Amino acid sequence: MSGHKLLRRFLLGAVLLFFYFPILYMLVFSFNGSRSLTSFDGFSLQWYDKMFHDPNMLEAIYYTLITAVVATVISTAVGTITAIGLSKSRRIVREVVSQVNNLPIMNPEIVTAVGLMLFYVSLRIEKGFFTMLLAHIAFCIPYVILSVMPKLRSLDDNLADAAMDLGATPWQAMVKVILPQIMPGIISGALIAFTMSFDDFTISYFVTGNGVKNISTLVWTMSKRINPSINALSTIIVLMITITLLLVNLLPIIKEKTKTKTGQVWKHTTSIVALCFALLIGGGLYWLKSGTGNHMSSADAIARFGSDTLKVYNVGEYIDPQINTAFEERYGVKIIYDTFDSNELMYTKLQGGERYDILVPSDYMIERLLKEDFLQPLNHDQLPNLSYLTEELNSLSYDPDHTYSVPYFWGTVGIVYNKNNVDIEDLQKEGYNIFRNQKYKGRIYMYDSERDSFMMALKALGYSMNTDDEKQLYEAYEWLKKIVTTMKPEIVTDEVIDAMANGNKDMALVYSGDATYILSENEDMGYYMPSEGTNLWSDAMVIPKNAANPKLANEYINFILEYENSMRNTEYVGYTSTNGEVLEECSGEGGIYADNEAYLPRSGYEKDEIFHYNDKSRKLISELWTKVKIAK
Amino acid sequence: MKTFKRLTYPYMLWITAMIVIPMLLIVIYALTKQGNDVATLQFTLDNFIHFFTDADFLSTLWLSLKIACITTILCILIGYPIAYLIAASTPAKRNLYILLITLPMWINMLVRTYAWIGILSDNGLVNHVLQFFGIEPQKLLYTDFAVILGMVYNFIPFMILQIEASLAKLDRSLLDAANDLGADRLQRFLKVTLPLSLPGVISGITLVFLPAVSSFVIPKLMGGGAYMLIGNVIENQFITVGEWNFGSAISMIMACIIMISMYITRKLDKSDDAVSRKRGKV
Repeated sequence: MSGHKLLRRFLLGAVLLFFYFPILYMLVFSFNGSRSLTSFDGFSLQWYDKMFHDPNMLEAIYYTLITAVVATVISTAVGTITAIGLSKSRRIVREVVSQVNNLPIMNPEIVTAVGLMLFYVSLRIEKGFFTMLLAHIAFCIPYVILSVMPKLRSLDDNLADAAMDLGATPWQAMVKVILPQIMPGIISGALIAFTMSFDDFTISYFVTGNGVKNISTLVWTMSKRINPSINALSTIIVLMITITLLLVNLLPIIKEKTKTKTGQVWKHTTSIVALCFALLIGGGLYWLKSGTGNHMSSADAIARFGSDTLKVYNVGEYIDPQINTAFEERYGVKIIYDTFDSNELMYTKLQGGERYDILVPSDYMIERLLKEDFLQPLNHDQLPNLSYLTEELNSLSYDPDHTYSVPYFWGTVGIVYNKNNVDIEDLQKEGYNIFRNQKYKGRIYMYDSERDSFMMALKALGYSMNTDDEKQLYEAYEWLKKIVTTMKPEIVTDEVIDAMANGNKDMALVYSGDATYILSENEDMGYYMPSEGTNLWSDAMVIPKNAANPKLANEYINFILEYENSMRNTEYVGYTSTNGEVLEECSGEGGIYADNEAYLPRSGYEKDEIFHYNDKSRKLISELWTKVKIAK
Repeated sequence: MKTFKRLTYPYMLWITAMIVIPMLLIVIYALTKQGNDVATLQFTLDNFIHFFTDADFLSTLWLSLKIACITTILCILIGYPIAYLIAASTPAKRNLYILLITLPMWINMLVRTYAWIGILSDNGLVNHVLQFFGIEPQKLLYTDFAVILGMVYNFIPFMILQIEASLAKLDRSLLDAANDLGADRLQRFLKVTLPLSLPGVISGITLVFLPAVSSFVIPKLMGGGAYMLIGNVIENQFITVGEWNFGSAISMIMACIIMISMYITRKLDKSDDAVSRKRGKV
């Protein structure tokens, strides 16, 4: 018998360990002294400090809470009222409404999400907080109805009639007779609604926009780079939830114990506890709101620029946040800062009708945007700092006179390799073909970007990376496919940066700016630009035609070009500055990137090319790359 | 009573706008070509043909179904014994266990899954432990294994709770009766407990299989940037590629698969109900 007991204990213990170990692990690493998620280097509260000073995180917490609270209140009210109505409706009505009501519960979340997104886009409703809130209400109500309905079914139908016969109005009958009886159902419905909303990712991800993020979507955008602040945030959430659940579960027990002695006192205690809770949430929301919406009186900005908000859409992890804060302070405006992972994603958003004042796309995408008439000319009178641009960036083929664009960062693409494990002679001899050398099987990363991968393949084959010859593209496809089928590569996106800095594998194709970061973190790593040529790229700031605040946008571009801000940015991000003076200082003797071979792009090498937009090859490359990835 | 009936009208309007129209939009997008506006709406099956004639998409669909099935089976195999043990505990302990199992579900799914990345990565905790015992480090993260682990981790509580609920409802006197009639432990379990807990297992299957087959978060976090399940293909079509028509078609296909599998499980459930009802009469 005790053997059985032991086995039972063991099984339950093992499962609970499985549930709680990752949570514990996360908790421990939120106190880590370093950025690593794998080795613990001393106790520190720095990630909590960072979290409380990160406006993005505070804003995300604010939006998560306010959405959950409002969605819960509305959906509980609407759901309850509807359920009562349904219980008195004809059978056919009840059936149809319940079936439709069940759809969001039965359907995969992603389908509901996609449907709502198409709905908003068709109505040309701008995505943001409002759309997210509506969506949350929409998927919460069905759960409330589902949890209230059974209580109504077990309710005696005649009760309401009796009340009304005795002179109660229908409203009174509902509030005084029906509601108290179905209260447990309403409460559990509200709880489900709150958790559904609080935890939601999929639906929010598809219907939010304009820089509005909840905790889930924020974690999603940050999950590619190691960021222990996420752990700090999670630890706080875990703590809050544990305390709430403990209270909810302990209160009845305490109540039971104190009942006999102080029944009267207890009644007050319950309401006091409830009041404290409401105050806590309300106060928290107020504090978060004041912490995030804090900017100087903006009457001056409105007078000068016609508005006090600027919407910027930039690549993720591509700016020192202090720069935006500095801009906000100097001009008395508020920046709505949104990020994207890829040029294609940005383009899709633009097509979806979203409006921004500043975009930071890459060269070929700017070409495309120009061709499709998405951009407006810059106002050079507002851009005196254009003269600071480094010479190499004048006369870029896509916009030689900076009529539409001002370069933000620039660089090359190359191979980061572990100098201890990769023979430099192999690299020099084979160039990109080293990715097909069996010696390095299982030791390489491939970057999940169709452009850069096809660039590598085409260059390795001796073609131009701008080719639209189908035969050459198919050859490149075969070249890449062979890597996937014979070299056991790991196909990654930005997680490659921390992984290479950690020394997880020996070789990866990366952007020079990320290589700069990797090299400065790990001195075993080197950067190599193959002699077959590479991609010389630049990302630039542009103003879309439908921008609401072009005047302020021009001011922002000028601000970024300033010496101090360019310096800050390149130091923080690691990408190559477009400000000539900053560039010289950083790469010159004593500069912070002086010995970093990835920082300074090679110039004047004839086999290096700039990407051009080509609609014909774009579709084929995109299709072929999808096939490469699933070739495993 | 009329007054109460009217309470339903606002919600009818609301579901028409927020549920019915979005679903119709998916169908319309799925059946049309890109770049159409309402005036030149032209229906076509091209999107579906594209999907079903492409070996790569089909293999992704196959992989998604396979991963979802493995996840569901593992959830049953692990979840059933645990649910059984919980149901057999004293009421106080039972409540505690249920609280302990539901508690992690309150924590953001992304956050919980994110924690596994540190544990499974190449020089993460598991590999450190392996190395300590002199075992070669294994590639754990960004594999099928990691994706299945992530799914089991996230979805198994649903299975346990469903099975536990149906086991808790089990009438103990049936077991006593079986005992009196000479059934041994195993027979009692196979002939009484298991059949009567099947409805719980079946609703557990729906609750696990449905999110598992459509998830795109777990495969992306645990499978790496290039790991593709059918949910990722949809996300990719909508967010990155911008082919909403094709994306809608895949969404429709997925919704159909879910509907069919729900229908089958319901059927199983019903036939089972019928059996138990018959037994009840006898």
